[in-house]
Amino acid sequence: MNENKKHMGLKAKERLSNTVIYAILIVMSIVWLIPFVFLVFESFRVESTYQVGYVIPKQFGFDNYINLFTKTDFPIWFKNTLVIGLFVSVIQTVIVLCMSYTLSRLRFKGRKGLMNIMLVLGFFPGFLSLVILYKVLSWLNLTSANSVPGLILVYVASSGMGYYVSKGFFDTISRSLDEAARVDGATRFQVFTKVIMPLSKPIVIYTILTAFMGPWGDFMLAKYVSHATSAGMNVAVGLQTMISTPASLAANYTMFCAGGVVVAIPITILFMCLQKYYVEGVTGGAVKG
Amino acid sequence: MKKLVSLLLAVLMLCTMAACSKGGEGGGTPTAGGTYDITVWVSEVAGIAELTKQQIDRFNEENEDLTFNATIEGISEADAATLMITDVESGADLYCFAQDQTARLVQAGALNVLGQAASEAVKARDDAGSVMAATFGDSLYAYPMTSDNGFFMYYDKSVISEDMIDDLATLVKACEDNNKFFSMNYSSAWYNSAWFFGTGCVSQWITDDTGAFTGVVDTYNSPEGMTALKGMQILAKSNAKNDSGSGEDFSKGSAVVVSGTWDVNTVQSILGDNMGVADLPSFTVDGNTYHMGSFSGGKLMGVKPQTDPEKAAALQRLALYLTDETCQLERFNSNGWGPSNVAAKASDDVQSNPVLAALGAQNNYATVQGQVNDGWWAKAGDLGHLAAQAESDEELQAGLALYEEQVKGLIGATGYVFVGAWNGWDNADLEGFGMEQDGNVLTITLDVPESDYMGGRIVPVTSWDTNLGCQQVTEGADLIVEYDEASNGDNNIIFLAPGNYTVTCDVSTSEIKIVKN
Repeated sequence: MNENKKHMGLKAKERLSNTVIYAILIVMSIVWLIPFVFLVFESFRVESTYQVGYVIPKQFGFDNYINLFTKTDFPIWFKNTLVIGLFVSVIQTVIVLCMSYTLSRLRFKGRKGLMNIMLVLGFFPGFLSLVILYKVLSWLNLTSANSVPGLILVYVASSGMGYYVSKGFFDTISRSLDEAARVDGATRFQVFTKVIMPLSKPIVIYTILTAFMGPWGDFMLAKYVSHATSAGMNVAVGLQTMISTPASLAANYTMFCAGGVVVAIPITILFMCLQKYYVEGVTGGAVKG
Repeated sequence: MKKLVSLLLAVLMLCTMAACSKGGEGGGTPTAGGTYDITVWVSEVAGIAELTKQQIDRFNEENEDLTFNATIEGISEADAATLMITDVESGADLYCFAQDQTARLVQAGALNVLGQAASEAVKARDDAGSVMAATFGDSLYAYPMTSDNGFFMYYDKSVISEDMIDDLATLVKACEDNNKFFSMNYSSAWYNSAWFFGTGCVSQWITDDTGAFTGVVDTYNSPEGMTALKGMQILAKSNAKNDSGSGEDFSKGSAVVVSGTWDVNTVQSILGDNMGVADLPSFTVDGNTYHMGSFSGGKLMGVKPQTDPEKAAALQRLALYLTDETCQLERFNSNGWGPSNVAAKASDDVQSNPVLAALGAQNNYATVQGQVNDGWWAKAGDLGHLAAQAESDEELQAGLALYEEQVKGLIGATGYVFVGAWNGWDNADLEGFGMEQDGNVLTITLDVPESDYMGGRIVPVTSWDTNLGCQQVTEGADLIVEYDEASNGDNNIIFLAPGNYTVTCDVSTSEIKIVKN
């Protein structure tokens, strides 16, 4: 009887703890999801364009989305960001992977020193160099309307320093594979492309994803470089100009929310398709640092 | 930092490419025949960019010798100076900005001085306040576009009746009784000036010809300032307070919102026929009633200095055109922007506009917004929080004293100097002939030594203002030489005899009293 009771107690305990955990998780997910739900609701509200004291629209419609694409430069901003994202993701992935492979497999003079220098440089917040970066780009005539190539140049130029995660991943691949291939007569480059790459799918996809996402969220540098020229803005800067004064905030707020939703779409799709690899990439690199 | 280093490396690699792309563009290339490619920055408010495009096209048609190919960008006029100063060279050729940015723009060399004829045209056709806003030292630096940047009161007629709108306490009470809010952004220096200016406080910054701030006259820390804070507490201590100034507050339970012309469409769409507009109310402290003041100002259009004088002249013509009566009226009709042009102001449409009428009524109590040191806004804005939180007069007093210290900290020296023959006309001589300040009242006791010319006047430190002199003397006029424009153009106080004098001056009323000791 006594023992029986104890068994029941254990089960009840488990159920209780599960209930508590789920309750906490549900509350947390609600808190986390509320802003997104708000954003989506706001983007479909058509009875007014300013901020209001309620959430669920009185009238649903696609007006904000239609206006966004017909009455503003949003298509240009979206195209700019997409172009930047695509270029950066390709070039940056190549550079990062080459860099990581080199630092993981080759031993050369100054390797440690180089890694330390990059580590220290990484400690400085990026905006410290904002003014000088702007000046350099403006000498190259890569600001205002030409800011798309300018921004690609800046993003790509610094990408070599983001090698940590993928170097960690390469370090976990046994060196004996390399050696076997070398013995068979493969060059370093062949080892990289034929041996390491096929084993590194998760990390390649992780690198592409992070490189593609970066430009969508960049505001400070992009704002500076575009210098009030609509043709050179990315989505973040463009959307901000829509709500930069009280009057424009009141006139464009719901359209701004629609813009937020549209921006989230490509990134969400990419994530859904590549989620499996993304998690592997993040955790894979963490095994050996 | 890492971006910079790596970018520099990348630049080295790409320099051949870069050289090509630079050679291709090469600045704002004027071609023959008076055709110019220009960039124009206007307000991002819906419709303004399109309207400006039409106006420039019309200018091109009307002036056959000139053609402008304009790229028009919408910006926030409050950020125009920040954007221009970032990079004057690649900034717009023609741009619109809020008047309080003139100092920064002049300092950055981002504004071309108007020529003689253009200056005279502007002075003749625009109202005095807007001309003053565009003037720096002796020169005009910009073209007035609007004269409507001020605040007044929107109210919900279904809650507030017309007999309540003249008294702040009544309004606040009505909001409390109906569970509504009174929205006014009292923790913003721009809005809370309403109380300080209402009681007669002064806050003015002094700049030299290059746009640098050289002094400040600020009397917030005074008995009048205390009264203002107590007046602010009528709102700030009420449950109906809402420290915000946005038209959309009407949809969130406000019955009164203090805001400006830019909110008219929002308020109209929320309240419909219940929208009421009026000048700000009065408030009563210790039995005395004060009408709330405000800042008034406007928007200006500026021309960037050009390397090609012909282009500069052409841009000047365009700027004059875009700010003339017709163009201002078009902006009034499309967006309700209140004109600065005197003739446009007098037109029937503008006169019968209720919102501009409310602004006009409030403007009788307004102070024209001159150049303001950027650091001031936050300091004076904090006084709103002070009013909301302080429990006693001592706390208010301490807060004002701290404010005064902070404001003086923004600039090297402040105050007034009784400059004249007795100190070798040294207008920075605060130690020797600085006037003691108590609220709005300045006092000095000085020995006037015997000399050929025993004259001088009261000026803010390092300035040469001529508006506190002989003509402002209300008591003791028998001790000085009578004013004569020909021989005393600088309005100096010229003593008839040497001796020891006490001079007091009230800066709020500009009255000077002289007593011989």
